[in-house]
Amino acid sequence: MNKKKTMQDKMNRQYLLLIVPGMVIFTIGVILPLLLALRYSFTSWDGMTVEKDFVGISNYINLWKDANFRQAWWFTIKFTIANTIVQNVFALLFAVALDSGIKAQKIYRTILFIPCLVSAVIVGFVWLKLYSNVLPELNEIFGTNINFLLFGDGKTVLRGLVIANNWQWIGYWMLIYLAGLQSVPSDLYEAAKVDGANAVQRFFNVTIPMLAPAITICVVGITTGSLKVYDLLVSSTGGGPGRASTSVIQMIYATAISGRQYGYGSAMSVTLVVILLMVAMIQVKGLKSKEVQS
Amino acid sequence: MKKKALSLFLCSAMTVSMLTGCGGSGDGGAAEAPAADTAQDTEAPAAAEEEPAEAEAPAASTDGEEVTLTVLAGQSTTDAGIEDMIDAALAEKYPNITLEWECTGWDGEFHPKMQQYMQSGLPDIIIGKAQDVNTYASQGLLGEIDAAYLDRGLDAARENVTFDGKTYGLVYNALYQGVYYNKTMFAENGWEVPTTQEELQAIIDDCNAKGIVPFASHMVDTWSIGNVTMQFMMNDVFNNTPDWGDQFREGKVSFAEDQAAQTAYSYNKLIFDNTYPETFSTEQTDCDARMVLGEAAMKVSGSWSIQNFLDIDESFDFGIFPFPNQTGDSKLIFEPNIAIMTSAETEHQDAVNCVLDVLSGDKELAVEIVDFTKTASMLKDVTPTYTNPSQADIDAYAAKGMIVDVTLGNNQLVWGGFQEENAADIAAYLQGDISFEDCLAASDARVGSSSAQ
Amino acid sequence: MAKFGRSKQSEDITSKPYTMSTFAVQVVMTVVALVFLFPLFVILNYSFKTKKELYLTSPLKLPDSLQWANYEAALKKLNLTTTFTNTFIYTAISVLLLALLCGVTAWAISRGKGKFFKFSFVYFVIGILIPFQALFLPIYTIGYKMHLTNTRYGIIFMYVATGISFGVFLMNSFMSTVPLELEEAARIDGCSVVKTYFVIVFPLLKPAFATLIIMQAFQIWNDYLLASLYVSKKGLKTLTVAIQSLFSAQASDYTTAMAAIVVSVLPISILFLSLQKYFIKGMTVGAVKG
Repeated sequence: MNKKKTMQDKMNRQYLLLIVPGMVIFTIGVILPLLLALRYSFTSWDGMTVEKDFVGISNYINLWKDANFRQAWWFTIKFTIANTIVQNVFALLFAVALDSGIKAQKIYRTILFIPCLVSAVIVGFVWLKLYSNVLPELNEIFGTNINFLLFGDGKTVLRGLVIANNWQWIGYWMLIYLAGLQSVPSDLYEAAKVDGANAVQRFFNVTIPMLAPAITICVVGITTGSLKVYDLLVSSTGGGPGRASTSVIQMIYATAISGRQYGYGSAMSVTLVVILLMVAMIQVKGLKSKEVQS
Repeated sequence: MKKKALSLFLCSAMTVSMLTGCGGSGDGGAAEAPAADTAQDTEAPAAAEEEPAEAEAPAASTDGEEVTLTVLAGQSTTDAGIEDMIDAALAEKYPNITLEWECTGWDGEFHPKMQQYMQSGLPDIIIGKAQDVNTYASQGLLGEIDAAYLDRGLDAARENVTFDGKTYGLVYNALYQGVYYNKTMFAENGWEVPTTQEELQAIIDDCNAKGIVPFASHMVDTWSIGNVTMQFMMNDVFNNTPDWGDQFREGKVSFAEDQAAQTAYSYNKLIFDNTYPETFSTEQTDCDARMVLGEAAMKVSGSWSIQNFLDIDESFDFGIFPFPNQTGDSKLIFEPNIAIMTSAETEHQDAVNCVLDVLSGDKELAVEIVDFTKTASMLKDVTPTYTNPSQADIDAYAAKGMIVDVTLGNNQLVWGGFQEENAADIAAYLQGDISFEDCLAASDARVGSSSAQ
Repeated sequence: MAKFGRSKQSEDITSKPYTMSTFAVQVVMTVVALVFLFPLFVILNYSFKTKKELYLTSPLKLPDSLQWANYEAALKKLNLTTTFTNTFIYTAISVLLLALLCGVTAWAISRGKGKFFKFSFVYFVIGILIPFQALFLPIYTIGYKMHLTNTRYGIIFMYVATGISFGVFLMNSFMSTVPLELEEAARIDGCSVVKTYFVIVFPLLKPAFATLIIMQAFQIWNDYLLASLYVSKKGLKTLTVAIQSLFSAQASDYTTAMAAIVVSVLPISILFLSLQKYFIKGMTVGAVKG
């Protein structure tokens, strides 16, 4: 017994040694920045000078009063909610369609997937051109009068960005749903059929519960991905028109770096991290408990 | 097996890429070849220009050991590419000096990079805009530029980069800003160049009556709103109160109360009401193309539009005039652009001087750069050779002394964090998101970020 | 391998009958696919036009003749050999290091006994929930204080540090596929812990490594924020950063920019098409109950 224990201790020490390199790198690259952000957020540092004056929580108080920061959050939240709903629904729909036994399924899969290989910076630029130059041309051809100038108005810019973002990512999430669908044992469907369930009932009573792990992955992935949106905006709207599409990360960049208010920008970062952590935890908890039930 | 194949693929690809990585740096060598012919012609005039006193300083490193200087360049897109020209000219005259370039967008990463280098030591040479000299010289980071090189430039180039009698920047070229107008269209409709708001309004009314768009604009680019706002501020605010920005920080004036500043802001509305309805979806190139095609009569802009105009139609005839102010005495805006700064703590002052020698002395290079960037040279006796239909207008305003340096305004009210942010508010106001009063109040609230110091 | 469920090709495509409604779905999906292809068509179309065609003719009109000059200009402006090589080096080295580190860390965490190992797992996983984008400010400060900016090892270090969380999490979920008996047998034969890992465990994790490498490679390849903050010297830039500079303010050269997009997307698309199977396996792991 004793011998076994010392054996395990010895092994533990070796396991520990194996963890150390990864932990050191991770700590320097991610945890240390987190602590630094926390520290700077209590100063009025401009990012340039040597002195960093401690100002207590005044940055956080100012944040609370900052209308632009609230607007950036509001945009980010709307963008996130819209993406989470639209992307999940369409990804699942397309996955079901591809799984329905249509011919050349692989070709469709590839076509829908390819946009997510393109960097978001490029996607933003391409959609800027599409909305302002290319799509209005369709009106000329078909004699229609659809408003394609989505980036040009604060009221439609969100819609425009959500479409661009979905074009890029639907294929990705669709793949995950497709894999989930293909792992549903067909005898479950047979059993449901025998019980007299129609196609819609089978979808909600068999497919959806079986897809629970995939749904968790997609919902968490899309939410956290949308909350940190930045690359897509850089080369499309640049946060405009006005401030209508300024995201939180973009605002941090503008405040801390271009605007030389590093301490204040750090307070924004800390706020973002806290909210991201909360959202992810709630989602994982909530969705996991659903998985267990099913 | 598959894993093996994959890792084998990755490994071999890595090795190949390492090898080509070395080859990549060889590109620089290849670029030197065409340098020979440019620099050959240059050598003679440049050498002749040099006075004995100047030749001394750089001489030290002419035959010296190999030196590599680090250069941080904050460029507008129209400037990208001049680094190759400078490399070529330098390689001819001082082959022992190599420049290690770090080119960033002036609007984007230039200032963050400077912040970074303030902590870890500045590069030997910094190429930015004239307004940056004030920002960084005040932190004691920049070295004084030797008069030998400054003397090769125009006197006007020194004015706003000199502090306490010391000059910290070599201003290389300049842009002009104002209202570009379609000359043919003006002639056909019998319009005269307006000097007052009433005259401008008359043209706008006539345009509207005839179905011509008065102003071309591309407000999708927030920077363009910021740019024209400073043009308006120069002629309606700074012309009467040259230290308006300092007074603003002292609390003596504010946007909420200053009539002149409000007028300057409200010109944006005048343009917005008289431009393409889809201006917030129109980019610069489309905007310029539509102006060239005769859709619009005028455009408040700067020299960067010239290249676009001529790309689309090389025979497009246009001129420039200053945007009329309330008092009818507007001046054409002149903006010293590329400014070469040096680190106060460089270890290679001799080599840095060699670079300054080439930049200020090599006229062939100067012509090449101003032709490429479609700008005016700030060196003596350097005349661009590109076609610029608006040159006659510029010369006329210059002869009458009706030109004003926008650095005055840009030094007092910085671009990053202030003008740029105000422009976003103005856009929000034009979009109807916020009221004009809110827009002014937001600018006032930003007073803490109005100066870089 | 049970994770991936039944194989795709063998069953469902053939098993489901092709009815009228399947045909309707086929038609709808064809329309969807065309809509998805449209932006790609626009990019290609623009990339072959002259500047004048771009402004003077309809954007949907095909070019009069193919302007390969745009591609020449794009190669030159992007400094393609250098930027491509850089992106490749950063991506390749980062993912290999990640594979090495994450595998061994996840294994040690799952095999070690005690509170510390449980804590370590949570510690790493927090990193998944905090995207580095939210911390770019201090990441950037640490970078220049430690002289990591504008160096190849600096950016690689950051990619490894920011990717490690996901890697450990992913590899950890594969550890149950490694039979403990094998490890114990090796230990009885006198293998050290390290040797056990490399001789027994490492070869069994092949699919996990393929997954990890592919997912990370694809993110690092397309990264913009970190690359723009960390590497800006001419010889060190990445493809995405070089492309972004073609789009920025006052740029007038859309034909070249579009050609540059084609050039930059092509390699990763070819890689995807040739390794599609791994990609899909990699992305769908965890979506399926094992």
